[in-house]
Amino acid sequence: MADRNALLKKIGEISFTLDDLRLFLDTHPLDDNAIQLYQENITQRKQLLKQYADEFEPLTTDCICLESNGSSNTCTKYPGQKHWTWNDGPVPWDLAANESAVIKGGV
Amino acid sequence: MWNYEKRLQFPVHITKPCPKTASLIISQFGGPDGEMAASMRYLSQRYSMSCKEVGGLLTDIGTEELAHLEMICAIIYQLTKNITAEQAKAGGFDAYYIDHTSGLWPTAAAGIPFNACEFQSKGDAITDLTEDLAAEQKARTTYDNLIRMIDDPEVLAPLKFLRQRELVHFQRFGEALEKIKDKLDAKNFYYFNPEFDKQFVK
Repeated sequence: MADRNALLKKIGEISFTLDDLRLFLDTHPLDDNAIQLYQENITQRKQLLKQYADEFEPLTTDCICLESNGSSNTCTKYPGQKHWTWNDGPVPWDLAANESAVIKGGV
Repeated sequence: MWNYEKRLQFPVHITKPCPKTASLIISQFGGPDGEMAASMRYLSQRYSMSCKEVGGLLTDIGTEELAHLEMICAIIYQLTKNITAEQAKAGGFDAYYIDHTSGLWPTAAAGIPFNACEFQSKGDAITDLTEDLAAEQKARTTYDNLIRMIDDPEVLAPLKFLRQRELVHFQRFGEALEKIKDKLDAKNFYYFNPEFDKQFVK
């Protein structure tokens, strides 16, 4: 099993690369170097998002797959049960939940 | 159409609550040069933007500003998590606490609520892009002021990231303004409004 926070960090870094390149390409639409970098990074981002969703929870609605999400059973209130996975995982602003990746509290 | 992605653009990891710091940073949520005004400014301006590529840039920067809004809210949430009424009082957070407890509500540091008058959508490409350039610098100055007053490295890390993004946005808006000028009469860029008097655009 991958380290949840390490994988999330990698997704954050690659996604930021794309965020920055997107704005650059908006004003430099023919820049070959930036186009190639965008292509390489977006391919890798898609793979990482899929790997993350398979092991933990979907980060985007496109990653929702009720058959394959969350094989690690660590970020859900319903381990081992077929369930709606979009609410699995901690909210991104909850520091304690993100550190432990355990869902508790609330109603 | 927008889609949510369940992560922050840059990590916010604050372990020491400080309602005083929260009461200053909240200006970047609902203040005059905050992230909400930024996002609404760009997303409102893009509809009548005469240059499609510049409209696309406004969409992408306006969208990134929403992610910055979320980071600012995460910072305030972590700085005020589990504070007591006494801590709110001691930290100068009591006036906010009375009306909002620990809920997030957009306001300036000096207590003025968020107001749409804090941004402009004028329907003139040169006017709007000049406003956007100034807006990015005003946001940068606000981050500079916050960075000068705050010591906690855990709070400074996301603030420094956000400050850098203002510089990048300023650069891109500068390029967008040049792109618009390319389509205008170089002898007088202000002869007509490219968003309204479309028949004159090259």
